[in-house]
Amino acid sequence: MKRTRIFQWAWVVLVVTGLVFWGCAKKEAEPLKIGGIFDITGATSAVGKDYAQAAKDAERYINENGGINGRKIQLIANDYAYKIPEAVSLYKQYKDVDKVFVIQGWGTGDTNALKQQVNNDKIVYISASYDSNLNDPTKTPYNFYVGTSYSDAIRLAMKFVKDSFKEMFPDAGDRAPRVVFIYPDHPYGKAPIPAGKAMAKELGIEVGPDEIVGLRAIDATSQLLHMKEFDPDWAWVGGTTPSTSVVVKDSAKLNLRTKIISNVWGFDENLIKLAGEAGNERIYGMAPFAFWGEDVPGMKAAMEAAKKADPEGIHTVRYIQGWTAMMVMWEGLKRADKAGQLNGPGLKAALESLDNFSTGGLTAPISYTPTDHRPNTALRIFKMSDNKLVPVMSVSIEREDRFLGW
Amino acid sequence: MPTGLFHTRYEDDEKIFHTLWVRIWMWSFVLFLFLVFPFVASPLSGFFGFSVQHMANMIGIFIIGAHGLNLLTGFTGQISLGHGAFMGVGAFTSAILFMKAGWPFWLSLPAAGFVSAGVGMIFGVPSLRLRGLYLAIATMAAQFIIDYAMRNWTSLTGGSAGFNVDRPSIFGFALDTDLRYYYLILVLAIVSTLFLKNLLRTKTGRAMVAIRDRYLSAEIMGVNLFKYRLLAFGISSFYVGVAGGLFAHYNLVVSDEHFTMWLSIQYLAMVIIGGLGHVLGGIFGTIFMVLLPELLRIPTEILSNIYPNIFAIFGTLRELVFGLVIILFLIFEPDGLAARWHTIRAYWKLWPFSY
Repeated sequence: MKRTRIFQWAWVVLVVTGLVFWGCAKKEAEPLKIGGIFDITGATSAVGKDYAQAAKDAERYINENGGINGRKIQLIANDYAYKIPEAVSLYKQYKDVDKVFVIQGWGTGDTNALKQQVNNDKIVYISASYDSNLNDPTKTPYNFYVGTSYSDAIRLAMKFVKDSFKEMFPDAGDRAPRVVFIYPDHPYGKAPIPAGKAMAKELGIEVGPDEIVGLRAIDATSQLLHMKEFDPDWAWVGGTTPSTSVVVKDSAKLNLRTKIISNVWGFDENLIKLAGEAGNERIYGMAPFAFWGEDVPGMKAAMEAAKKADPEGIHTVRYIQGWTAMMVMWEGLKRADKAGQLNGPGLKAALESLDNFSTGGLTAPISYTPTDHRPNTALRIFKMSDNKLVPVMSVSIEREDRFLGW
Repeated sequence: MPTGLFHTRYEDDEKIFHTLWVRIWMWSFVLFLFLVFPFVASPLSGFFGFSVQHMANMIGIFIIGAHGLNLLTGFTGQISLGHGAFMGVGAFTSAILFMKAGWPFWLSLPAAGFVSAGVGMIFGVPSLRLRGLYLAIATMAAQFIIDYAMRNWTSLTGGSAGFNVDRPSIFGFALDTDLRYYYLILVLAIVSTLFLKNLLRTKTGRAMVAIRDRYLSAEIMGVNLFKYRLLAFGISSFYVGVAGGLFAHYNLVVSDEHFTMWLSIQYLAMVIIGGLGHVLGGIFGTIFMVLLPELLRIPTEILSNIYPNIFAIFGTLRELVFGLVIILFLIFEPDGLAARWHTIRAYWKLWPFSY
């Protein structure tokens, strides 16, 4: 019976600690609750951790700087391990139990899975997925995000490929540029591909067969060998930093001449560490956000907040992404509160009143309108050179109606 | 006045509820689930910090699935690592029939079960020749094949993004809230539990148990191994198929991501932790496996509010603790929660005169 004893005690301890925690949690006054769905342990955790940390630090920063016109906020941050069912379950918790009207979300798959529900429940959903599916308010009126959309990024990438072709490949003569799309078979990877292909067609770029490289890939040799048959000048990589660095390293190993251009989530400071020498002059990236420590006015607050939370912490552009999402939400909440409409529709209206809102240089100025949720259509293209990330050029695309929503 | 339970007829021995008291308890429990639980769910949610109603619905759905696997693994002795995929077949069948073919829900849900049963039986064919680990690998192949189909049959399944599903209505009654859906799940969970319990008392059920205990003896006694193994696969997949259909319409989205290898293993974990070969095992195991991660979220949420600067660590910690708790359970409760339940019951039955 000794085992039973131990077991009974284990139960008692469990229940008591549970109650103690519960007691602690209930003591604080009622702040404004905000849902947080982040990836800390899942397939995109390599970029998700820093993003989530930024959101958490921004919560403190907001509270120390006046909150929502005096009222504090509380970000209920949870990990969903990049699994759609977990996100759905968290969403239910935030909606039914915490009664939030704004959620800081994460991935493309889960944001798309929830878009119908957030619309029905009138909960503003700010995602880290910059999927263009989510920027047409006639379909997804409650979805917002702060980065240049994936599709606009891929369109800009195609334009860059076309415009820089003569200069970068002088031996190519008069032939059309050749591009291959490499992406994970995942909503995030697949989202911008149709836009990219349409743009490539429009610009007269030749498109080769797609290659699938998973988010957790540790080897891309077979895909790259297959790609070599087409011998593209450029390869678009729509992964995260670890999978992108795998593609970069393997193409260096295979001595491919193909240049690689990466989506926003595949290009950050960690690339220098992960790809090493292989990345120099090989990897280009779409950068809608300022990199960590860049000399722009908005950077100071983020760096100070990060330092306050963890003086030793090392951060990347992901921190800026999470930070910006929180700052834009803060501005919206303040405006909504001023209008006396601190609720879902009120926040939506407040965000839609943002017109060329400056993020202090962390991104291009952000505007939302009731008919267009594209935050901006400008970004910078960076490349890795001499073990550093260096800017190549700033590009922007017209806010055309025909590009809305895909 | 008898001093204990003394069965004098086989019929008595096979009764589901042995005494009047058990019957009363069961009925009051069912009444509680129907009448009281929905009202206490909301205050309980406030207490625990997660949506209790949602959790109850998830538990109900997975109980149906776990019963299915328990029938196959616990009662027939056939292991399956493909039940996650079979659940996916059910989910996609119901969702596609409902959304794309315009079938009513009361037809699409059983159809999910039947299609799943068909697929399960196809992949159950190797069970005639393969046992144990070999069968596990064969069914794992089913998992991979179906996974691949779900992911790449884009015109039908929407590829890796899946597609959105609407909440259905049954005969004009819209199941649009979690509470309304709860009643549907509850009824189906009770029906499936009763069906399983009764199945085991029939010729079919006894044949399955005989196969589990010693297939050679069973065969010598005249049990048609192939038939019953296949039947077990069929019924079992029917169960998970229905669970899948319920899951799809409940979550409002289907994608292959739900139905991976991990789900198959989770199902196995549910029946093993609950207790293989106990009807109660499926129920306890499911409650445990669904609730534990949520309960572990409470301390992580609180800790991350106290220590916001290292909050990313707590998320990882939760996964670690989850694994640890499962290992501890397997060490201290090797017979599953159902066995523990029986000991506890026996203890209280004789209390305070237990020895």
